[in-house]
Amino acid sequence: MAYVSMGEANRLITEYLNRFCDSVSYQDSSTLCHLLSISSNSASLLSLADALNVFQDASSLIRQSDKFSEHEEILAHLLPSLQSYRVGNLVEAYIAFEKFASAFVQEFRNWESAWALEALYVVCYEVRVLAEMADKELTSNGKLKAAGSLLMKVFGVLACKGPKRLGALYVTCQLFKTYFKLGTVNLCRSVIRSIETARIFDFEEFPTRDKVAYMYYTGRLEVFNENFSAADTKLSYALQYCDPKKERNIRMILKYLIPVKLSIGIIPTYELLRNHKLHEYINIVQALRKGDLRLLRHALDEHEDRFLRSGVYLVLEKLELQVYQRLMKKIYINQKLSDPARAHQLKLEVIAKALRWLGMDMDLVEVKCIMMMLIHKNLVKGYLANKSKVVVLSKQDPFPKLCGKPVGS
Amino acid sequence: MNKTLSAADVQASDVRPLPVLEETLRYLLSLLDSTEHSFEAVHDFIFDRTRSIRQDLSMQNLANERVIHLYEEISHLCVYSVDFIILTLKWVLIQVKFHVIARQRLQSCSTTSISSMHHLNMEQLAKTLTTLYDIYDANRKPDYIYQNEAEFRSLYVLLHLNPSSGVMGEPMALWFRKLTSVLIKSKEMCFVRNLLRLYRMGNYKNFISALASEATYLQYCTSEPHIREMRSLAVQCINNVCYKLQPYPLLRLSQNLMMKEVDVESLCHECGLETCTDSDGCIVLPTKQPNLRRPEEGFKGYDLIGFEMKRLL
Repeated sequence: MAYVSMGEANRLITEYLNRFCDSVSYQDSSTLCHLLSISSNSASLLSLADALNVFQDASSLIRQSDKFSEHEEILAHLLPSLQSYRVGNLVEAYIAFEKFASAFVQEFRNWESAWALEALYVVCYEVRVLAEMADKELTSNGKLKAAGSLLMKVFGVLACKGPKRLGALYVTCQLFKTYFKLGTVNLCRSVIRSIETARIFDFEEFPTRDKVAYMYYTGRLEVFNENFSAADTKLSYALQYCDPKKERNIRMILKYLIPVKLSIGIIPTYELLRNHKLHEYINIVQALRKGDLRLLRHALDEHEDRFLRSGVYLVLEKLELQVYQRLMKKIYINQKLSDPARAHQLKLEVIAKALRWLGMDMDLVEVKCIMMMLIHKNLVKGYLANKSKVVVLSKQDPFPKLCGKPVGS
Repeated sequence: MNKTLSAADVQASDVRPLPVLEETLRYLLSLLDSTEHSFEAVHDFIFDRTRSIRQDLSMQNLANERVIHLYEEISHLCVYSVDFIILTLKWVLIQVKFHVIARQRLQSCSTTSISSMHHLNMEQLAKTLTTLYDIYDANRKPDYIYQNEAEFRSLYVLLHLNPSSGVMGEPMALWFRKLTSVLIKSKEMCFVRNLLRLYRMGNYKNFISALASEATYLQYCTSEPHIREMRSLAVQCINNVCYKLQPYPLLRLSQNLMMKEVDVESLCHECGLETCTDSDGCIVLPTKQPNLRRPEEGFKGYDLIGFEMKRLL
């Protein structure tokens, strides 16, 4: 903490108060944004915080002037929040900021135009981020839960007919981030319903950046629920409209889009995986291309933690059937080369041998079971002659491609 | 039933002290094995009594301040509140056991109100498990899992094996995200994850045999409807996939499904399929029959043959 003299402190605080009040009077949203970004650790805010800690009685300064006292409600909590943040008291910082935010939202509601929308975004962002910091200190999630409630209230304020409604999607995404972090993802449902069914909202009107974030989160929800077509649509939208310079965001989208694409039979190139540093999928893709079950199992084991945490493990595990399909196709192609007349007959014994070669010991009953499932789910066309222990493949297109549809649909 | 109230259960309006509640719980659990009364009657009685115990416990939670004042002079104040957590945990465990066992017993009941009872029971089981997990999480020590935690967590997976079963809860993928590494690597979680994989793959043979050889009693009870689902799937599959000119021998199927042959025949009929006898006198299932249908949502589970019940008790 830098040393600030009493006089300098007075000057810094008064300057901040002036800038705050002017930005409100002149509807200067971008200046206001800078004044509210507590967690940005900007030089000006840090020195202001130092000044506050020296001066100690900023509220007297506020009350002294008519200009400042007009915004006393808001400033009374904003300054202490910054003060606490500076000395590392993150719980107090959050508590004060929450009160500030409530007061600010009330003011925002009264302002007729939507001039302060960007500033409101900053407030929402800070509420969430400060709550997360406070919770870390408390090793609980109470503050983030409270932040969620506040954000819902903000959403309510923006769910209106005027131009303020354009901010609703940004707040929605802040809510998504909050709920995902809390693990209470089911709470997303009510906001999603509002956005998608309320007549005041027209999805196309929202800023692109917010639409991309929205589709990313709702796409992820579809992945968790294994609705692959919907997930594909949403995540592909997010990818298409994402700013190409935002590499981190693109990577995040791809992390979920790739398992979805794999599930509907679309395989990315190794180049794509390497370019976006998604090495964890390289072995999975190879296993699919080669029909190598052992490699799939190995890849799942190797990155088990990572896949479980991101929630794609079950989706990737399900690819096993497609890997089996590929293996059967390889056996068939091999047979075609050596004995074309009988290539369409796959003996269970031959399949078992191929699996043993891959290190997978299975008895004929299990092999039969798997073949039946492949045929049942239309990954293999043909029938099982149980007595003869043979799978007879259809002469036409015995291994239908998924073509963008999930298995068994 | 009303006459056999234990001494512990005397004044419902008064809040019962903890040792008394413990005794009541032990008594209630012993009722589950009673053969005197029909299970429906037992179920209602226990349901009712357990709800009142729960109320007493939560009242005591709020009144803890009062209790603390009472014992202020005595130094084992801290011991008391720790006991309370342990009792709450034990209580919820008993509740879960009750609901799991009830589910299985309900299957052999014959009254018509079974399906609503069953649904109610499943809802309660899901809610109770969630309460249990909250208690585990709230009292979490790093890298520590409670004695039975892995098994009780595994029940959640088994309960939600079938995403369209209508049991409340979040998607499996989200649920797994929250588990600690220690839990994920536990024997019980690995076991049910394997079952989940086999279930989703439709590998009915290995699903049933894995369950039969490795499941605990509670896991087995929770999985029973899925055994039925896999068996129905097997019949459906065989009908759709096997060669028309080679009817499928039921004996073979009964071995794979761990069922009596006569039960397999019954299951085929439930699926709208006809069976017949071939020239060697074996019962077979002709395939590619067009009248295949889903068996009714009944609770008639067929026995698991070659299954060592003794192992579980």
